[in-house]
Amino acid sequence: MKPLRIAAAIACCLLVLAGTAAHAQKKVLRMAFRTAETGFDPQRIDDRYSVGICENLFEPLLTYDYLARPVKLVPLVAEAIPEPEEGGTRYTFRLRPGIHFADDPAFKGQKRELVAKDIEYSIKRFRDPKNRSPYAWLFEDKLVGLDELAEKARKSDFDYEAKIAGIEVRGKYLISFKLKEPDYNFLYVLAMPNVVPVAREVIEAYPSDTHAHPVGTGPFVLREWVRRSKIVLEKNPNHRGYELDTRYANSADEWDRRAMDALRGKRMPQLDRVEIYPIEDDQPRFLAFLNKEHDVIDETPTQFIHQVLPNDKLAPNLARQGVSVFREEQPEITFDSFNLEDPVVGGYSPERVGLRRALVMAHDRDAEVNTIRKGQAIAAQSPVPPGIVGFDPAFRTQAQNHDPAKAKALLDMFGYVDRDGDGWRDQPDGKPLQLTYKYQVGGDGRALAELWVKSLSEIGVRLEAQPVQFSDLLKDKKVGKFQMAGSAWIADYPDAQNFLQLLYGPYTGQSNESRFKLADYDKLYEKSIALPDGDARNRIYRDMNRLLLAYAPWRLGVHRIYNHLQYPWVKGYKKHPILYTNFKWLDVDVTAQTVAMK
Amino acid sequence: MIPTLAGVILLIFLLFNWVGGDPAHVLAGKISNPEQIKNIRKQLGVDEPYLVQLWVFVKQVFTFDFGRSWSTNEEVSRILLTRIGPTLTVMVPVLVIETVLAVIFAVMVAYVRGRPTDRGIMAICTVAMSISFLVYIIFFQWLFGFILGWFPVQGWSESFTKNLLTYAPLPIMLAVAVGLAPSLRLYRSFFLDEINQDYVRTARAKGVPEKVVMMKHVMRNALIPILTNVGILLPGVFVGSFLLEVFFSIPGLGREIITAVNRSDFPVIKAVTVYLAMLTMIINLLVDVMYKFVDPRVSFK
Repeated sequence: MKPLRIAAAIACCLLVLAGTAAHAQKKVLRMAFRTAETGFDPQRIDDRYSVGICENLFEPLLTYDYLARPVKLVPLVAEAIPEPEEGGTRYTFRLRPGIHFADDPAFKGQKRELVAKDIEYSIKRFRDPKNRSPYAWLFEDKLVGLDELAEKARKSDFDYEAKIAGIEVRGKYLISFKLKEPDYNFLYVLAMPNVVPVAREVIEAYPSDTHAHPVGTGPFVLREWVRRSKIVLEKNPNHRGYELDTRYANSADEWDRRAMDALRGKRMPQLDRVEIYPIEDDQPRFLAFLNKEHDVIDETPTQFIHQVLPNDKLAPNLARQGVSVFREEQPEITFDSFNLEDPVVGGYSPERVGLRRALVMAHDRDAEVNTIRKGQAIAAQSPVPPGIVGFDPAFRTQAQNHDPAKAKALLDMFGYVDRDGDGWRDQPDGKPLQLTYKYQVGGDGRALAELWVKSLSEIGVRLEAQPVQFSDLLKDKKVGKFQMAGSAWIADYPDAQNFLQLLYGPYTGQSNESRFKLADYDKLYEKSIALPDGDARNRIYRDMNRLLLAYAPWRLGVHRIYNHLQYPWVKGYKKHPILYTNFKWLDVDVTAQTVAMK
Repeated sequence: MIPTLAGVILLIFLLFNWVGGDPAHVLAGKISNPEQIKNIRKQLGVDEPYLVQLWVFVKQVFTFDFGRSWSTNEEVSRILLTRIGPTLTVMVPVLVIETVLAVIFAVMVAYVRGRPTDRGIMAICTVAMSISFLVYIIFFQWLFGFILGWFPVQGWSESFTKNLLTYAPLPIMLAVAVGLAPSLRLYRSFFLDEINQDYVRTARAKGVPEKVVMMKHVMRNALIPILTNVGILLPGVFVGSFLLEVFFSIPGLGREIITAVNRSDFPVIKAVTVYLAMLTMIINLLVDVMYKFVDPRVSFK
């Protein structure tokens, strides 16, 4: 019996040691981004990957509840969500005292508390021309006095000390914003992950490379950054910690239940370290996940979708390993714009509207969804994607359905017929009907362009597909140097206004690529932004959708579906439609991770 | 060298301004107004007259100060210095292994020219050359990285040794496999040219051992065109392979160049192109000097 006892004792010791080792091991999450980041100065970036990192380093006044769907705003560094005052033109915030920035040499060894002046400074940074902020538009024509301050800065340095009526700092923790016009979506703007406080000392300490010195109040700090190769975040030791708020959780939702079970009673963040590797190509990103080099893969590449989800069910080999798939309908839309100022497809006369509507109906959208998108998309019925405030699930349209017979009939009716017998339709005045479609080189651009060419050739319309570099396409669309072109828009904040503004006349040359100028639409838009969320505003949104379908400045594309995979040792996973990352709500079962990796 | 460099500067400048795209529209973000575009163009200096811009470019070339990346604000010199290491870690072994193997195999097949071994190897080379590099990468990354698990699928570390022994072998192997076939065919033709020369026939007639004929006489003379070819390949070593760097997540210069082109990041494009042109000229000069040591008949004038 003695040798048995000794063996049992040794086994016990080994088990205890193994358990202790696992406990002592750091909780590390590894994943890839599909595009390289640009930097982490929150006011100077707009790519979702850089912004995704900033979500973890900085904290806005407000944020979104992790589990609530549809999304719900909750306070973060603000004590509460303020009620709109003065008819939706004033919002006043009280900051939570005792929130500190992460340590940095710029603070000279002192703990640095977050105060209202930091919020003021950070918002002003969006309008400092030196920063070339891609999100400057958020605060254009918005806060009283800010446009004038920005205008002055064109001739001299931006005066950050200047007082403006639009941003009143009323004490250490109190700040009030005065808007030029009522805006009930302003709170969403203040929840954006780059509308976050930065410390002026830090920005001024590293003026030449603010991207490399992101110092915020968030739950993580940037520990290591090998540009475009590796980003390492570590838990911020100064952070006060969070607990999962389950008030808005849906107990019928499997993901909510799992998150609640995994995170209940835990002080977040649980992860000690997050390692992110930008991998631009799909194959290595996918194989790195299959090889367990990464714990999660966000946005599984469409080219591998049949290996991951054959017949829309998780592949048996992945299911056996306990992999879960989170399917997310992206709050975005793809669309093709017609240039309304173009002499052939533009204009508002019945024959031009008829031409555009015929082209829209000729496009084989089912082929786009099933072949090009491999079923990972849903056909859009309006510009507003699901999950966005103002989305109407009952709003359906036939106007964008694939119907070549109707398209031909419409063209015949308005005189777009073959007059010279060459087999292609001509314009009513006899000139040839020759269209061009500009698309971005790379990605699905070519396949989408070829689908257009094929679809239109079936109704006798000649289309030339022109590949263009990304920067050229951007410029051509901004200055109206195109006839038809592909685009996409992802939600900055979860309100239909963020999408419907894309056709607002005064935004021509800015966000309105179609150069659509319809007085009725513009009036409705102006009316909608002065209203809070509710039936009255939703009715206006519906009317705007109808105008869009009637005048067809766009061919509505799809809302893409992304599939996010995780191994079973990743706990608490749920993808948020607006926030790109969820590190602060994740946990890792280190023992299971270690065993699986062996 | 100066006229060549002047030509390169002019060419890059013209190409960027005519087909390079407008960086201001990329940097301005998804919603921008003409005022913002104007402000960005002013800050970048692309609103200046072309002659002024060209002068700034010339000054940058001679001071080696290309400023900062327009898209990331990182110093261009830092970009070059930090990305060159990973590129060389992969590309230097590729060049060395490929050249050594190609020379050895070329001598061997040239020696047995016309026989089944020669024909078989030439047929394999033709097939190997007909397959795209991309296919090699996709297939062997899947096979060796995922199915067999002999190498990591991708990755890079801060340790040179770990990179060389863990992350670089698979990309090196693939690049060698792809580059070997054309080099082998080319070098074989160099050896065959020499083998058929009168001096070789004379040496054999005099009873010089075959090993000495091949290794001393043939090899030495064939080395001149081989050296020229290596000289042509050498600048490519310093810019790396974009495909390898993208597929294996190697933070090298090739990947950086493509990112810079996609973002219309002119300072990075300018610096890399000028640096490559200068490198090509210096390498050509060195190759010319080396001819003298390989072939004593070559003399400097």
